[in-house]
Amino acid sequence: MTKPLRPALIGGVLLAVLGSLCPFLWFVLTSFKSQIQVEAIPPTWWPDGSLGFYTSALSEHRLLYYIRNSVIVAGATTVIALVVATPAAYALARLRMAGKAWILGGLLCVAMFPHIVIAGPVWQILERLGGLNTHWGLVLPYVSLTLPLAVWVLTTFFHELPFELEEAARIDGCTTWQALYRIVLPLAAPGLFTATILTFIYAWNEFFFALLILTDPEHQTLPVGIALFQGEFTMPWGEIAAASVIATLPLIIIVLLFQRRIINGLSAGAVKG
Amino acid sequence: MAGLVLRHIEKTFGRTPVLHDVSLEAGDGEFVVLLGPSGCGKSTLLRIIAGLEPQTRGSVHIGGRCVDALPPSDRDIAMVFQHYALYPHLTVRENLAFGLKMRGKPKAVIQARIAETAALLEIHDLLDRKPRELSGGQQQRVAMGRAIVRKPRLFLFDEPLSNLDARLRTSMRVELKKLHRRLGTTMVYVTHDQAEAMTLGNTIAVMNHGRIQQIGRPDQIYHEPGNPFVAGFIGSPPMNMFEGSYRLHQRELEFRAGELTLRVPFQAHDLVGADSGIATLGIRPEDVTFEPPESRHVAVAGTIDLIENLGGDSIVYLVIQGQSLVARTSPVLRQHAGDSVTACMKNFHLFMNEIRIPWPSS
Repeated sequence: MTKPLRPALIGGVLLAVLGSLCPFLWFVLTSFKSQIQVEAIPPTWWPDGSLGFYTSALSEHRLLYYIRNSVIVAGATTVIALVVATPAAYALARLRMAGKAWILGGLLCVAMFPHIVIAGPVWQILERLGGLNTHWGLVLPYVSLTLPLAVWVLTTFFHELPFELEEAARIDGCTTWQALYRIVLPLAAPGLFTATILTFIYAWNEFFFALLILTDPEHQTLPVGIALFQGEFTMPWGEIAAASVIATLPLIIIVLLFQRRIINGLSAGAVKG
Repeated sequence: MAGLVLRHIEKTFGRTPVLHDVSLEAGDGEFVVLLGPSGCGKSTLLRIIAGLEPQTRGSVHIGGRCVDALPPSDRDIAMVFQHYALYPHLTVRENLAFGLKMRGKPKAVIQARIAETAALLEIHDLLDRKPRELSGGQQQRVAMGRAIVRKPRLFLFDEPLSNLDARLRTSMRVELKKLHRRLGTTMVYVTHDQAEAMTLGNTIAVMNHGRIQQIGRPDQIYHEPGNPFVAGFIGSPPMNMFEGSYRLHQRELEFRAGELTLRVPFQAHDLVGADSGIATLGIRPEDVTFEPPESRHVAVAGTIDLIENLGGDSIVYLVIQGQSLVARTSPVLRQHAGDSVTACMKNFHLFMNEIRIPWPSS
């Protein structure tokens, strides 16, 4: 790298990091402010460290309900999507079959549909099935929307694993299933982590379908719940900020814990292991 | 008892035939090498023996038992793969134990077998490492170990030394030979390297285009190649081949290829067929010398085009009567490029219609 380019690159990186962190920092700060500080003009930067918004978000706005609903929906989505995507991806990576490229391309197309396009049909289907205002009614479209990505990530991963390993396992006495769970899955762990986290994050953050399908507050997930904190005449900024921090925390923890594995997962296929 | 018998094996991938009517028999304890250029079907044949690939027709017998219906795990075989195929997430010890564990062997037996194998291959220091912490040569040893530890009836090797550097390859070759002597188990070894084939095999099966070209002992394959392909494939540098026409005289065969005319001592009654025709004449580079000719030699004047000095010996590129001829001489030749020399040739190989014509013993 040439020398004059370095400061420019570092500056660019800093700008990007600060730019994306700024809103997050602002609502973290806001969440620790008092009601007076929130409404102060000119705005105060540094909060006085009050936890008032957290307690009121939890007690008055039923935040725990929303968290529970989100855990159920995102958890179920992730488990189902992974259980379906793993064998599908394995088959796509390993079997000699016609039209493999079409299947993978088709999956990609499905993943790219704008949500608004399928909103109507999804709503109608769920209405017929009685899935409106139920958790499974939300899990169903989430699974079908996250499957393409999960299948893609896992297919790339399985593809990278030398087939010789499975043949060696078969000679060593494994059946196809034994070879899959004793040899292939442990080695594809980074891919599984990546797919798991991407799926979970999607289901945890999704707003549009959650708003459409869940009108009953009993079943609403975090993003919808937080959005509906807003009253007819009030905008409880502090509580919204506190709830957002709580909603974001699990994702940050997961991503930090598995950062290395995710990077491995996303760069699979780019570099030869 | 036969260690391995292949009967009329055929294989097609889709519509592409890759193996044609391959039959082979290996005695118990024999070391068979499948030798051929890449794409000749030798690896496919090995995979069919292993059960990793079903044959289209024909049958495989291991230790006197037909194994066509058996999966790889029940064929009592072990295979060493080209890229070793060690399980990356398991330690060397677990790699060795894996096959025994899958077969439900008791722990004590597994431990004893691992200790025995580790001693044999001198890998006890590596047992608790992961494969990625090993050098290529060490991985190779562990891969062998994983095969040996199971004590199978038949070993299959798929170009196991091709990923090692030249020096390591030579030393592993020697070790493999010793190992075979010690274990006395039937081994089938796939390679495209003729030096490996010549040094390791009791029997070599030379393959090309999905067919076995010749099966024989290494010296047979070398001294009596059955067809021009085998003649050209075995030997380095390759055999000199002249395409031309022959005419039989009473005690000699006159061979013409372009401007080149060679008169080779020959007994006419050895040749079944016509007195004249089209043929291929071959001479190994090591059968071309620059010493004064003896009675059975054929001497031809030529010029040296180029000399490659290899230290112990040299490869000499000559032009004789408009044809090029390669010679391998030892010790190193004193002449220079451009010098005129007399090349003396012996041990000719004659092929007609792609088949070797036996030469009278000379």
